[in-house]
Amino acid sequence: QPLASRQAAELQSKVVPSKQILHSDNMEMEPETMETKSVTDYFSKMHMGSLVYSCTSKRKNK
Amino acid sequence: RMEASCLELALEGERLCKAGDCRAGVSFFEAAVQVGTEDLKTLSAIYSQLGNAYFYLHEYAKALEYHHHDLTLARTIGDLLGEAKASGNLGNTLKVLGNFEEAIVCCQRHLDISRELNDKVGEARALYNLGNVYHSKGKNVACAGTHDPGELPDDVKNALEKAANYYEENLTIVTELGDRAAQGRAFGNLGNTHYLLGNFRSAVIAHEQRLLIAKEFGDTSAERRAYSNLGNAYIFLGEFETASEYYKRTLQLARQLKDRAVEAQACYSLGNTYTLLQDYEKAIDYHLKHLVIAQELNDKIGEGRACWSLGNAYTALGNHEQAIHFAERHLEISREVGDRSGELTARLNLSDLQMVLGLSYSTNNSMMSENHVADNSLNGTRPRVGRRHSMENMELMKLTPEKVQNWN
Repeated sequence: QPLASRQAAELQSKVVPSKQILHSDNMEMEPETMETKSVTDYFSKMHMGSLVYSCTSKRKNK
Repeated sequence: RMEASCLELALEGERLCKAGDCRAGVSFFEAAVQVGTEDLKTLSAIYSQLGNAYFYLHEYAKALEYHHHDLTLARTIGDLLGEAKASGNLGNTLKVLGNFEEAIVCCQRHLDISRELNDKVGEARALYNLGNVYHSKGKNVACAGTHDPGELPDDVKNALEKAANYYEENLTIVTELGDRAAQGRAFGNLGNTHYLLGNFRSAVIAHEQRLLIAKEFGDTSAERRAYSNLGNAYIFLGEFETASEYYKRTLQLARQLKDRAVEAQACYSLGNTYTLLQDYEKAIDYHLKHLVIAQELNDKIGEGRACWSLGNAYTALGNHEQAIHFAERHLEISREVGDRSGELTARLNLSDLQMVLGLSYSTNNSMMSENHVADNSLNGTRPRVGRRHSMENMELMKLTPEKVQNWN
């Protein structure tokens, strides 16, 4: 089968040239940084004292 | 029993989010909003945290809504720092949603206010965010366009160059501040930007810095990311041996981190790399590993890619029976996920293989006999899941290592 073998050779030679490699777009990005606000920070700044005490003691009692 | 106050609910939401349970945190914050408060600064903090929680939960429409409320509120009460933060968060959310122009406006506002307040930390973070927006913008346009390989359209190039500049500016500040973690992030994304621009040597330099910092922190995930990105860059530098070494390190860490999806990706990259090295036995070994995990994770697109790659590798080895088996499977999956170009490739591969095998190959059991069906469905309009994802990969296919010489 000269035809088949010739085709086999052709197939072999044209197979997987590097441009056929399927590169998946697997670029790995770094995480986003979100800005944070906190009730706790604000709370401790503005309401130091009895409120903080009552809140933390309540939590301890849980 | 007394009703919980807004503040108590918010504090619990905050605690839960800090503990990593955003889902539960969200319910407490939403309950806090329901109860309500007259303290607008507390309300602003609740909105902001709700926005971030939804962001981490990938519910971006909700994130947008709450960051928008936060911005409005911050402006109302004249809280400039609060406005800067809300703008930054809104910008990041708009970026993920693909609204780049508005994202730029928001991130720029974050930057302007930070400079006005002489807040160096805020300034650096705004610069990083701006870099990210321009990077996404560039990548997005690059994927949508039908440009020639290796030639980026001007708008893509401009966006990516802007991204690189913002990352560089960020690096200057965070280096001054001695913030190593922030440097790590900036180096990683700067490296990826150079990669897209085709500056593979610069990409390597940045990712090497990223790797160094990841090791300093014992941050295994970041270390794995750096190896993977280094592998990608070395592929395009034509240094396949080096690339394979980095991909192997990626694989090791993926296994250590027990991340199957990442493990699959590393196997796939290794399969491709060994194909480039013309070591088809090893390529088959890794592609089979990738195939097994893709099936396990029910990742049809990955499975299709694995079959396509295996078909090629077996063809290269002259194992036409296995080649046909995987080409048929590739065709089947391409149809299933609606990947038209994959379908076409698979059919061309099959007809080539059929020619080679000639009479010894019977079409009776083969997908080839269904060609007319494929022709019809090729013109069909039913929605095709996963098509876009596949097309992105087709775009990347055009970025061939042979082109690399012209780029550097």
